[in-house]
Amino acid sequence: MPGLRTVASKIGQLLFVLWAVATILFLMFRLMPGSPMAAFIDPTFTEEQQQALMRQFGLDRPLWEQYVIFLQNLLQFELGESFFYKESVARLVLQVFPNTLILTITSLILAYAVGILLGAFIAWKRGTWLEAVSIPIVLTTRAAPEFWVGMILLAFFSFELGWFPSGGAISAGAEFEGLIGRIFTRDFLVHLFLPTLTLAVYLHGLPLLLMRSTMIEVLDEDFVTMARMQGFGEWTVVIRHAARNALLPVATAFALGIGYAVAGNVVVETVFSWPGLGRLLVKAVQSRDYPLAQGAFLLIAFVMISMNMLADLLYRLLDPRVVHAG
Amino acid sequence: MKRILSSAILAAVAGAGVTIPAWAAGDTIRPLTILSRPQASQPQEFQSIQLLAQEWRKLGLDIRVQVMPWEQMSDLVWYQRDKWDMTAWQMVGRPERLDPDELVYNLFHSSTAEKGYNFVGYKNPAYDEIATAQRAETDIEKRRSLVFKAQEMIAADQPIINLVHPRVSYVFNKSVWKESSVTEQAGIGIRNFWTSIGIEPVGEKKDIVLNSADNVNAINPLYISGGTDSWIYELLWDRLLRVGPDGLPRPWAAESYNWVNEKTIDVTLRPDLKWHDGSPVTLEDVIFSFQAPAGEEAPMYKPFVSNIASIEKTGERTLRFQLKQPAAGFLIATLAKINIIPKKVWEPKIAELGSKPENAESYQEPTPMGSGPFKFSRWLKSEEVMLEANPAHFSAPKAARWILRIVPNTEAALGMLKSGEINFLSDYNGDVNVLEQLVASQPQLKLVTTTELGFRYVAVNMRRPPFDDTAFRRALSTAFDRRLIVGAAYRGAAVPGVTMISPAVQAWYNPGSAKMEAGLDKARAILKEAGYTLQGGKLAYPDGKTEALKN
Repeated sequence: MPGLRTVASKIGQLLFVLWAVATILFLMFRLMPGSPMAAFIDPTFTEEQQQALMRQFGLDRPLWEQYVIFLQNLLQFELGESFFYKESVARLVLQVFPNTLILTITSLILAYAVGILLGAFIAWKRGTWLEAVSIPIVLTTRAAPEFWVGMILLAFFSFELGWFPSGGAISAGAEFEGLIGRIFTRDFLVHLFLPTLTLAVYLHGLPLLLMRSTMIEVLDEDFVTMARMQGFGEWTVVIRHAARNALLPVATAFALGIGYAVAGNVVVETVFSWPGLGRLLVKAVQSRDYPLAQGAFLLIAFVMISMNMLADLLYRLLDPRVVHAG
Repeated sequence: MKRILSSAILAAVAGAGVTIPAWAAGDTIRPLTILSRPQASQPQEFQSIQLLAQEWRKLGLDIRVQVMPWEQMSDLVWYQRDKWDMTAWQMVGRPERLDPDELVYNLFHSSTAEKGYNFVGYKNPAYDEIATAQRAETDIEKRRSLVFKAQEMIAADQPIINLVHPRVSYVFNKSVWKESSVTEQAGIGIRNFWTSIGIEPVGEKKDIVLNSADNVNAINPLYISGGTDSWIYELLWDRLLRVGPDGLPRPWAAESYNWVNEKTIDVTLRPDLKWHDGSPVTLEDVIFSFQAPAGEEAPMYKPFVSNIASIEKTGERTLRFQLKQPAAGFLIATLAKINIIPKKVWEPKIAELGSKPENAESYQEPTPMGSGPFKFSRWLKSEEVMLEANPAHFSAPKAARWILRIVPNTEAALGMLKSGEINFLSDYNGDVNVLEQLVASQPQLKLVTTTELGFRYVAVNMRRPPFDDTAFRRALSTAFDRRLIVGAAYRGAAVPGVTMISPAVQAWYNPGSAKMEAGLDKARAILKEAGYTLQGGKLAYPDGKTEALKN
């Protein structure tokens, strides 16, 4: 059981990292060339308007003053208001966040289920033609750019065969009742299929290769030999004894994967016009929407660091050796 | 004299066959930089700039292309006005630009050189006079001759090097919409207000489903929040006048209007206007709509009402606008632009915001309410905006709903058009040939291509030599054939441009100003006549002119 002290020191680390990330984000966006005013330049853009905007954005104050205000707001969990949407950053992020979670979590589960099973199977078939063929295929799909995979799937299943829609999360004007009602409609699931497949194709390589290599190690260990000597069937040995032990590193990768998943996936979201966080973020960075970019990245950093910490603590629970070693 | 002597002695000592006497030349011109946006986001612009740089190098200039994203480029051009040489730029076509005032005045009047849109720094008192005069001239024939004169001066002075007026392409599905019910607006294309209200369904499908690559930022009648957003605004909120398909103002929420004198205009409101909640639109609402932006709460709309001295109610349905300065563009720039908003919603809101740092732009109504031909239905962020027809409107739409889909992937938008997921392609940034092929293979699709009133140009910084010299600018503008840009960069989807008024805008376009000679020989002749020489293959200033700026 992790001690109170360990947890406290972990939380201390978390706060320090968050402060560092916030400071880097603050400086990065402001020192980057370019200005949020670009979006407003127009033949009728007056000097008065320019000054009003600078005041409104708080960009007329010196940098250190902006920084102090930014930190003060953060301490009150206030992320500010987007320059262009004129809406609070937290609300903006929350509006698209469910879409991002559904897409990434579904893909993760699919990728890990397929990856773990195939990985174990390929490890078991070590040295056969199956391994010789499957490993290059896995490496190729993992290396293939997501936008390319996405476009190929779109071109084939949507443009040619017409089996799936070409983008979006629901059909134009489709009616639904609330978030849950929306997700469990046939319409939504049909729209979800291709982006999930694309993302899963990209994600499945890691669990597969990880599972395969740990399986190979585990299959060589004494307890597996022992199980075989006890006369258990091959299937029982591989699944019940070996695979269960090989799962530990894959479980960690999954926990971290969820952490990364909250950032959304810009490429898949853009290819499939999926209304997720990734697209919102890219737009915010491009148009120099400082509050939105800072706030959203900070939220993502927070979730990722928390998941990391959680994985770390869980690991201590799952595998007592970690505590003794550390 | 001393300098000439020493030069002559040098030449004699060198003994070479010098054809151009060295003493007649100024310094060689420094390397000149031209800014462009990246190929990935603006392929035609990037390609045009590469072609121009190639041609201008043949004049003996050292031309460097510097690529940067819009946010960085506009920051440099707009806020550091003496720090750049040349930049690619674009003027997009919007209905209100069908009135020439913005293009004639705001782009080139010297008063906007320091902080406004005349960032090239063009200062010509004779031009200022004409630009100001056309503003005040409410007689359309007299105003036209002034606008013609302005175009001639811009063609002669070349403060900007216009390249092309692009041709914009939109596609609709003929199996859903009657072809004859689609309206083409001059300089804008078929995606416009008139099509949205006039388009008639053929059969059971009655929803206009269109696409945009950009997100919708806000739906707020007091905030100019983006190009795509404006498509929604014009349908939800009525305006006193509308810019007609021909580019001229026509009555809308106002039954009629009448210039009493050059600073007074009378407006009669229609009797049958109702807000989307069913309550009547009153004269007080209209007056409020024009007064609200005058304060500090709607800064983006403020310039459009700042010329109003007073508005008074003169009868049951009549209003009188009194202007500070005569303004012919008032009809389109103000009466056809300001959204008529319900006083009962916005007056308390503005009063409440008065004491806060935020202004009216940051107030998002849960259900935006206007009196326009469409009513708000829903807005799913990054996904779609849905409006439904307002059957109580005096010009009720024939379609049932208007659904805007956000589609950042251009190829997917084409796929949707083919599959029927959208039935009106209202935003397309890809290769025009790909679009033509798709339409040719799908008999239900109809492509309509329109020459834009907007244009793509190269802005030259007149604060920095050699661009302060009209002959040099003319030489640059003459050196290349615009048809090359049309063909190579735009794949034919553009027409050559010379001045700020597009040939699409028949009411104001001066065909006489658009004659532009083209060719390197002609450009060289202009340079030679102005005293420029070639020194070892490099172009040099005329005699006595030194290079003050170093790159």
